Amino acid sequence: MSTEQVNTNNTSTKHLSVKRYLPDNSAESYWQEYELPVDDSTSLLDALNHIKEQLDSTLSYRWSCRMAICGSCGVMVNGIPKLGCKTFLRDYEGDIRIEPLSHFPVQRDLVVDMAIFLEHLAAVKPYLIDDNPAKPYDPTAPETYQQSPEQLARYKQFANCINCGLCYSACPQFGLNPEFLGPAALTLAHRYNLDSRDHGKKQRMAELNRHEGVWSCTFVGFCSKVCPKNVDPAAAVNQGKVEAAKHTLIALFKG
Amino acid sequence: MDKSSSHRLLPLKRNWWLKHRFFKLYMLREATVLPLVFFILCLLAGMVALLQGAESWQGWVDFMGSPIVLVLNLLALAASLFHAATFFVLFPRVMPLRIAGHSLPDQAIVAGQWAGVVAVALLFFWLLGRA
Repeated sequence: MSTEQVNTNNTSTKHLSVKRYLPDNSAESYWQEYELPVDDSTSLLDALNHIKEQLDSTLSYRWSCRMAICGSCGVMVNGIPKLGCKTFLRDYEGDIRIEPLSHFPVQRDLVVDMAIFLEHLAAVKPYLIDDNPAKPYDPTAPETYQQSPEQLARYKQFANCINCGLCYSACPQFGLNPEFLGPAALTLAHRYNLDSRDHGKKQRMAELNRHEGVWSCTFVGFCSKVCPKNVDPAAAVNQGKVEAAKHTLIALFKG
Repeated sequence: MDKSSSHRLLPLKRNWWLKHRFFKLYMLREATVLPLVFFILCLLAGMVALLQGAESWQGWVDFMGSPIVLVLNLLALAASLFHAATFFVLFPRVMPLRIAGHSLPDQAIVAGQWAGVVAVALLFFWLLGRA
């Protein structure tokens, strides 16, 4: 974020085109235009809230925290996946086109069905798998979950994912084949594989090391460009390819 | 909401990559293989010509000297350099190197790869210069 002072007095009127889909009225989606007053501090989410409260209460969209941590308000802005709360209208001139996230089925207006994304997340077992017999909350347990700052640093970047799904809308491979586990799920798998407390790599490899796992990725890299938390999923997925290749080689020699 | 009411998802069109500059650049990176395929075919033809004898070899040398082939091979050189430039930047993200517990800075890895290119190029200039 720039440190320039944001002027909240600099008001103007901006034009927003929103892709509407109301399955109760029509099977077809259509564009609707809105004119609204904005200043330099108006985020896209503020604008959608203004439309909902002042202009058109039928508009549906998801949002919650307003500060890029809940990951609910992802939409396409001029064809690029963005978080509504982290996108400021001061950065846009002319027509601003708002669409629901690409590559997901639309339920209503800007609300998409993310069920397949959640299935992919669950498929990679995104939790600590520990074969240590000590129970985590056992007071007599021998320092089971201690971790040094260096060990934390190895996966910390990949743990910043907020499950907003922008990377799935940016990924043409997921658009071509929704069975592809996709950037966020593969990154989360890699995050746990890198965790010193985890011993579940072998179990996750079954999911990762197949065509719909890491090998569907062709390193387009747009997922990392659109990620609002700088997780760099493309790097994680491609590090996963190296791990999957090692896994295959080791399995080959073990017979 | 049940799934049947969801908007049916259309498959991506073949021209999906024309929608954004980033995707066009990606396709350009992938397309660098095409002039390189031409260059490899030229090399293979050269080896076949070498086996067939002096006359065939001279024919291949003349073929390689023709303007259109020169232009295509210069294109292949440019394509391979462009591919190298994009690949070298991606490399430290795919294989972050760690030496004695410290990760190497990305720029150092990229610079190291270009140093390798220069070293190999100099080696070949030297070898071909002696011949």
